[in-house]
Amino acid sequence: MEYLRPQNLKNALHLMKQWKKKATLIAGGTNVIPDLRARAVRPEVLIDISHLKSLAYIKEDKRKIHIGALTTVSELASSKIIEKWAPLLSHAANQLGNPLVRNRATIAGNLADGSPAADTAVPLLALEAIVVIQGGKEKQVPIHQFFVGPNQTVLKRDEMIKEVIIPKFNPNAKTAYFKLGLRNSMAVSVVSIAVLMEMEKTFCKKARIGYGAVAPKPIRAYRVEEMLENKELTERLLRACCETIGKEISPISDIRASKEYRTEMASVLLKRVMKRVTQ
Amino acid sequence: MKVSKTYPLKLNVNGEWKKTEVTPRETLLHVLRERLGHTELKEGCGKGDCGACAVLLNGKPVNACLTLALQADGKNVVTLKGIGTPDKPHPLQESFVKKGAIQCGFCSAGMIISAKGLLDENPKPSREEIRKAISGNLCRCTGYKKIVEAIEEAGQNIKKSVGRSQ
Amino acid sequence: MSELKIIGKPIPRHDAWEKAFGLTCYAADFTLPGMLYGKVLRSNHPSARILSVNTSRAERLKGVKAVLTAKDVPRNESVTRFGQTHAVGGGFEGLYRVLADRKVHFMGEAVALVAAETEEIAKRALELIQVEYEPLPGVFDPIEAMKPDAPLVQEGRSNIITHYEVVKGDVEKGFSEADVVVENTYRVPFVDHAYLEPESGMAWIDEDGVITIRVSTQVIEHFRGIADVLNLPHNRVRVIGTYVGGGFGGKEDITVEAFLALLTYKTGRPVKLTYTREESILSHSKRHPYVMIYKTGAKKDGRLTALQAKLVSDAGAYVYLSPWVLLYSMVNAAGPYRIPHVKVDGYTVLTNNTFTSANRGFGAPQVCFAYESQMDELARRTGLEPEKIRMMNYLEKGEALATGQVLERHVALKETTEKVIEALEERTSPSGQMRIGRGIASGMTSYGRMVFLHDTSRSHVSIEMDGSVTIRAGIQDIGGGQASSLCQITAEILGVPIEDIKIYIADTALTPFAGTTTATRQLYMSGNATLMAAREVRKILVHKAAGMLGIDPESLDLVDREVIDKEGTGKGLPLKEVVRACASDGLPLYHVALFKAPFRNVAQFERIEGQVFPDFTFGTHGAEVAVDEETGRIQVLKLISSFDVGRAINRLSVEGQIEGGAIYGMGYSLTEEVILNQGITMTPSFSEYLLPTSMDVPDVETILIESGDGVGPFGAKGVGEPSVCSVAPAISNAVYDAIGVRIYDLPLTPEKIVRALQSKVKAEGYL
Repeated sequence: MEYLRPQNLKNALHLMKQWKKKATLIAGGTNVIPDLRARAVRPEVLIDISHLKSLAYIKEDKRKIHIGALTTVSELASSKIIEKWAPLLSHAANQLGNPLVRNRATIAGNLADGSPAADTAVPLLALEAIVVIQGGKEKQVPIHQFFVGPNQTVLKRDEMIKEVIIPKFNPNAKTAYFKLGLRNSMAVSVVSIAVLMEMEKTFCKKARIGYGAVAPKPIRAYRVEEMLENKELTERLLRACCETIGKEISPISDIRASKEYRTEMASVLLKRVMKRVTQ
Repeated sequence: MKVSKTYPLKLNVNGEWKKTEVTPRETLLHVLRERLGHTELKEGCGKGDCGACAVLLNGKPVNACLTLALQADGKNVVTLKGIGTPDKPHPLQESFVKKGAIQCGFCSAGMIISAKGLLDENPKPSREEIRKAISGNLCRCTGYKKIVEAIEEAGQNIKKSVGRSQ
Repeated sequence: MSELKIIGKPIPRHDAWEKAFGLTCYAADFTLPGMLYGKVLRSNHPSARILSVNTSRAERLKGVKAVLTAKDVPRNESVTRFGQTHAVGGGFEGLYRVLADRKVHFMGEAVALVAAETEEIAKRALELIQVEYEPLPGVFDPIEAMKPDAPLVQEGRSNIITHYEVVKGDVEKGFSEADVVVENTYRVPFVDHAYLEPESGMAWIDEDGVITIRVSTQVIEHFRGIADVLNLPHNRVRVIGTYVGGGFGGKEDITVEAFLALLTYKTGRPVKLTYTREESILSHSKRHPYVMIYKTGAKKDGRLTALQAKLVSDAGAYVYLSPWVLLYSMVNAAGPYRIPHVKVDGYTVLTNNTFTSANRGFGAPQVCFAYESQMDELARRTGLEPEKIRMMNYLEKGEALATGQVLERHVALKETTEKVIEALEERTSPSGQMRIGRGIASGMTSYGRMVFLHDTSRSHVSIEMDGSVTIRAGIQDIGGGQASSLCQITAEILGVPIEDIKIYIADTALTPFAGTTTATRQLYMSGNATLMAAREVRKILVHKAAGMLGIDPESLDLVDREVIDKEGTGKGLPLKEVVRACASDGLPLYHVALFKAPFRNVAQFERIEGQVFPDFTFGTHGAEVAVDEETGRIQVLKLISSFDVGRAINRLSVEGQIEGGAIYGMGYSLTEEVILNQGITMTPSFSEYLLPTSMDVPDVETILIESGDGVGPFGAKGVGEPSVCSVAPAISNAVYDAIGVRIYDLPLTPEKIVRALQSKVKAEGYL
């Protein structure tokens, strides 16, 4: 196996283009290294971008936050900018894996891995983030189009995530995040949910709901969002939403939980976050 | 059998620069234990589930098993042995011993590293902050109570000694 | 003896400093020049015939020094006594097979061994060994395996390893006298020990041709079994035990030792073998899953009248310690209660699952979950407080267990229960969907091995010319402070500070045999042996000093490295001066003591009667939980442990055992389960096998009772295993208290809670 350490993004992309399938890109390494150890990936070339400091940043402009691909989850978790403008992501980052992992894992790695339970994906869905992908040319993909299936994303072999852009949320919007796992640290989500609601008193102007671990990929709950938007939020409507969510998701059974439990919890968590945002 | 290429590696371990040759697949844990003799790091799981191999990498606690050795090239690594010695014990080492926070001792190296990472940033952590900071380090013997107490006490002792030296 | 100076104090362990500085050399930390790396090829079928094994490609790989299969093992199959010195019969001895031959019986069974110049080459060599399997039908449920037409797990023997019974009185009569009878079936899962240190060792041939194995083990005396595998005399194999990175029973059976011995024997080179975590979970023993059918009857006023139980344990594919564990369960099955009529039937059964053997508690926690859940239900049905019904029925000193064994020492259950209730304090107030509940459970666990094993321990204490003291004892220190306790005892008796003592442990060539570090026996057995040895040395010193000072030996004491006159005359001598005087007189400045546990033969095992254990440790756990009614998630808010420890030799160590044991039991209650699907491990790593983290646990509160009435040194009892026993039922009873539903199978996963709540709502709907 060869090890390549490109000096900049351009150089990295060039190498990826050159090696295609034979190469594995590594940054924080918290997904790639266990895969290497288990021989689940057997690349001929490792392209290490972990030292590209220019890709690790959290910046804000008037309307958006820009998060560099190599920003670690710890940096997300402790960032004042994120806490202020994307608190959902702050919550999720604080509960991802464990502190040692968070110091290595990057936002791009968490997304590119394409896990249906990816912890940062769920708030980013609710926040309508944009994934900036750099390949031959730069393109911007809304996060809801980024995931394709279990461990599959739109990323091509010669592309990588460069940045994640989050529109600053309306400070009057309400948000809530909830992760249900089997323990309080080092837990893979059994179900996770993030919501962002813009409300005028009890009238819902906008609803964005992200879910993890209830489908082959992290998803938005469009039908429920539609049921809520431009509606007066009544007990009855919320109950109907909690029923509808079961039809909108397609969880699997695994060692952590059955699909029935996940379905029920998707509804329970929806009820909970709704309660929180409507209070 | 294909032989992996080797690459030069330069690491500052506990204040001393070390040079060696490694293959890309080798983790920082493997290189520190097998090539540089730092057996104070333990391998409990090999994939970031237990924290027994934690080191400070440029000041941040990380799992050495989840870091390729080459990713640490040119960086500072601090292991348990870099924190204190029998001649000059670190307050954490003293409090771990005195509070009974060490039983089998296999998690201790990683546990003390995570605690050091915490106290460096926050010398007076709450119990909740301590629990969170060591939540990537499994301990099977103690039930964590005496570990949390030891870290709390070390924080207080560090503060005191800083106070004295001023 | 005057007031104790060192015993009972919270003294940092002598081994803790080395560990804090990273200086302790664990099994995998050791290397030798010219060392090879060992690897094990394991079966990827739970039940299959081995049609062929082709090792030629692996053997040809550059750097490979040995590839071994069953045919290369001098004695591949033996009837093992699992570290015993003698056979006891009664199904207690089982087949030990080093490498699978013709068939594999569980997934992960060792099929071939490799030694190579590097770990990478050894791994590659495993991939080059071709094994052709023909899958065979397997049996994965012990109840199924008991049926006459079930596939046989081991050729030529019934799947039912053994059947034991305990009979007292007439249960039919007892149930006819009962006003309330509760009957339930309980299930408990496979559990991994999950010590942080995976199995590891290193072997070499020393300059005299002795096969030497330095290994992480609870039992160095496996050297006999290892010698048998190689067809060597027992004195040609030496085992050196390292400080162990956690044992909990999982390093009680042979792990890497026989493989290492074979590889070093065949190659003549030092060999190191360390398991990965996945290999550890796949291949080492597990705690026994049990199916337990319990029927318990009581009078309206709460007095117990009868208990009937049927226990079936899953032994997995090999016998190992399954009959022993079952025997423990049999003795414990009725709990620490006065019950006039008892009948217990127990079976342990082979399946094609991972084999099961010792795990902290050794059959006691399983039945405790059942009998203490039953007690809680009886409390509800009789309208008594859970502690009331227990208090009324606890056995007391002088009364007998269902087996007839009389409890000759203090039974502190009333005190421990009172302390726990007191410590639970005010109930936390509920919020949102959180329901608060609290529960208690009491238990008993033996310490010391079964009396028919004729257990012994030896300890050698000597004093050097400068007054420093040396202990030699063949104990294994698995993190419980086993070695340090012996230092404390010796320091107390010889009147020297603890830092004057050096202990050498765990070497079959150099330290007197002290037996296994299992069965919560080391403080009891080797503590007593060391106490005896130290007292003998003391006697010699005091006698000599008395002559030198012209004072009656009775009035002398050893304090702070001096022999002093207790009367306060100021007369005295430095200890080392007395030592030198002894030496010039040719007096022995050492003593080897042999401590023997009480011995009683067992006429037959089918029906268990009379004394089986030297003594028991009694205690109570209390838990307060918050249960999320909607998600089923349980958070343990309070966990109180109260135990009669007899005498705390080292308060820090005792608390450490009790706190750690409580959380070990909490994992058993809530998250830990090795899930096997048709014999295939679905929880292969610590990502799936979930230990409690620091954010999941409460601060365990420990309340010690010191009756001084144990059989250990200074009246101590053992706590290592007892500390786990009653945690699961305490938590489960607390869950019942919170939400009104009982879960009959561990662990109490959120999904089980939610389902149970749903059935309750349904059932109530029909009423």
